[in-house]
Amino acid sequence: MKWVPEARAFDEAFDKTGTPRPHYRPLVSILESFTQDEIERRERLQKLSLIDQGITFTIYGEKEGTERIFPFDFVPRVIPAREWERLQAGLVQRVTALNLFILDVYQGQKCLKDRVIPPELLLSRKEYKRELLNVIPPRQIFTHVVGTDVIRNDKGEYLVLEDNCRCPSGVSYVLENRNTLNRVFPEFFKYYGVRPIKDYPNLLLDTLLRSAPRASEKPVVVILTPGMANSAYFEHSFLAREMGVTLVEGRDLIVEDNYVFMRTTSGKQKVDVIYRRIDDDFLDPLTFRRDSMLGVPGLVNVYREGNVALANAPGAGVADDKSVYAFMPALIRYYLGEDALLPQVSTYLGLRPQDFAYIRDHAHELVIKTAGDSGGYGMLMGPFASKREIAVYVGQMKKNPGNYIAQPLIELSAHPTYTDGKFEPRRVDLRPFILYGESVRVLPGGLTRVALRPGSYVVNSSQGGGSKDTWVLASKGAA
Amino acid sequence: MLSRVADSLYWMGRYLERAENITRLLLVTEDFSSETQGLAEDLAQTAWKDMLTIFPSAQLSREVTPFAPLSMPYLHAFFIDQGNPYSIHLSLRKARENARSVREALTLEVFLALNEAFRALEAYGRKGMPDPPAYRDALVATHKGIFTVVGAIEHTSTRDEGWRFLKLGESLERSYRSALVLRAKLPALLAAEARGDAPLYYTQWRSLLRGLSSLENYRRVYGARLEPNLVIGFLLFDPDSPRSLRYGASIVRDYLAAISGPAALTTPARIVGKLHADLRYDDEALMRRGDFAELLDRVVGELAKAHDAIATQYFVT
Repeated sequence: MKWVPEARAFDEAFDKTGTPRPHYRPLVSILESFTQDEIERRERLQKLSLIDQGITFTIYGEKEGTERIFPFDFVPRVIPAREWERLQAGLVQRVTALNLFILDVYQGQKCLKDRVIPPELLLSRKEYKRELLNVIPPRQIFTHVVGTDVIRNDKGEYLVLEDNCRCPSGVSYVLENRNTLNRVFPEFFKYYGVRPIKDYPNLLLDTLLRSAPRASEKPVVVILTPGMANSAYFEHSFLAREMGVTLVEGRDLIVEDNYVFMRTTSGKQKVDVIYRRIDDDFLDPLTFRRDSMLGVPGLVNVYREGNVALANAPGAGVADDKSVYAFMPALIRYYLGEDALLPQVSTYLGLRPQDFAYIRDHAHELVIKTAGDSGGYGMLMGPFASKREIAVYVGQMKKNPGNYIAQPLIELSAHPTYTDGKFEPRRVDLRPFILYGESVRVLPGGLTRVALRPGSYVVNSSQGGGSKDTWVLASKGAA
Repeated sequence: MLSRVADSLYWMGRYLERAENITRLLLVTEDFSSETQGLAEDLAQTAWKDMLTIFPSAQLSREVTPFAPLSMPYLHAFFIDQGNPYSIHLSLRKARENARSVREALTLEVFLALNEAFRALEAYGRKGMPDPPAYRDALVATHKGIFTVVGAIEHTSTRDEGWRFLKLGESLERSYRSALVLRAKLPALLAAEARGDAPLYYTQWRSLLRGLSSLENYRRVYGARLEPNLVIGFLLFDPDSPRSLRYGASIVRDYLAAISGPAALTTPARIVGKLHADLRYDDEALMRRGDFAELLDRVVGELAKAHDAIATQYFVT
């Protein structure tokens, strides 16, 4: 078996001399004990099982409804217990602060009065929903499910790259990847105490039940999906099955007398909690986008009256904005009186004239992003773009500078990944999932996304990314 | 349960049953046509043309060519042609689409089996089908694949409302299609009695029984002797055979009662209950009268009405 070490970035598995890091040693030896034929046989089994199980996602822009399997690389990412503890503490802190921030945005706006964040910036964000001022969800929790993207720089430090307080997806792959690896490479688990993740659906259901509007005896929870054509439909259906709740589409719901009901074979049934996997804009054509066919007319009014809970709460997306992100260290200090435990990537704001000039002049060194987008859409990777591409992009930027932010290119850490008979380094990131129910809890693990193309920094599933099983080790002794 | 989910499960049941029916009829018709084409080509041709009556609005996309076996255009149209609304390919695809849209209502085993059956079918489509033996091979494999799905449903599903809607779709499609098979074949077969070619005549009756997967069941009751009246009585009124019209109506009735609860009398339950009562209590008079075309038209009509009433009752809320 051939291992190719990473030359530039931080290698998750090997140190600078090419020796496996302590927590990767057993894994490397096990893999080296296999012949190439054996590994290829296992890999075939694994691919087949994904196709048979229909674990797919849909790519937009290709042929209508193209289903693809989400490529899975069987070399797991291993995170030692101590390392995870630090990461977890940072995430709990961050999500606590995010929630306090969103609460403040919709009630009081003290952070604006105290100039922690410029009002002209915050109030012009697309995801800031003026309509929801003073509409506060039960127990003041806006962010029931958060997926925060974390990367490691060339020194191996964990940095927060972005927060997803709207509808973060990927958790179904976290659970399925573990299943797949358990079946295809049972040998791995003999030498590692890997913390289990299978109770996630339980925790999620518990979180949703706790968000119910009032002490109803047995709250009815549903998942609201845009439908089969959505890229994350597999996950919506997966979570409904795992939690034993009904998966509804907008057309299954109806609002009457300021309550939400679902249409059933025996008439209408009241719904208390909606885990919605639809963006705010499409939630309710009477409040947001009038052309939305996916939502439920009148839904926001029912929410406003406190007769239904929405998870995550509408308006929470304001915290995902990439220019708001730049203020997170300050916001954490403001709300919690603590310094941020997890550092983040330094960010230039197109909104500030001096920053904009810098971005314009250094576009070829920077990663430039639109503030409101996610999924790798609308992004320019300066160091890899042609002069022409940069010129076109900068031209676009000038029309609406406030919509852009820029960051230095971070050398994402790399992880051995099986490609054509060799283990080669590929860039990875990590999306842990954080639930805010009774308290803030982090699922031990998360989605490790991997850029499968050699040299690529883009890990998004829509753009040639794959994923890995992510292990958090239980024992504190190892590494 | 959600009306949309009930609707999808009902159609999943219908499409699965339809795919199984098409597969079986293709296998039986192919046997019959290769057996008879040298003796009486018109009979072989009629047997294939009946497929277009049993599945109205089905279409052939390929011409019958002089030297190719006459079954080829039919096998192509009903097995793999995606333009034909009654191909096995389209039926299984629809069953899978319905399953995919309500995946959370199904067990993993059911979904896996359906996915595999469909993928195997797609592979046959890509490989190409040069001749009838290739089709036969693919049809036999597809038949097994469908039975695996049906077996997975039987073995792993909880008997809740969703399951009842799936079975309602399956049983309604089964009775409806069996009535159409009989309507297409029975009157012509009775009219041809005078023809006098006994072995050929019995081949047709045998083929009719096999087409409704009833040959062995019939033999268990009446032995090997194929007496037209006994065959008709068996296919219409037998109390236990899964594809007799009487048994079929009783099953549809039972699922409707299980869904609504025995006390509630819904419109579809009235339609099917009355149809079942006719088949159950009027069998002797109907046999004596012998006007089977009229009877079968009525059965087809009532079942179509029942389908509409089910949609109004449960799927449009």
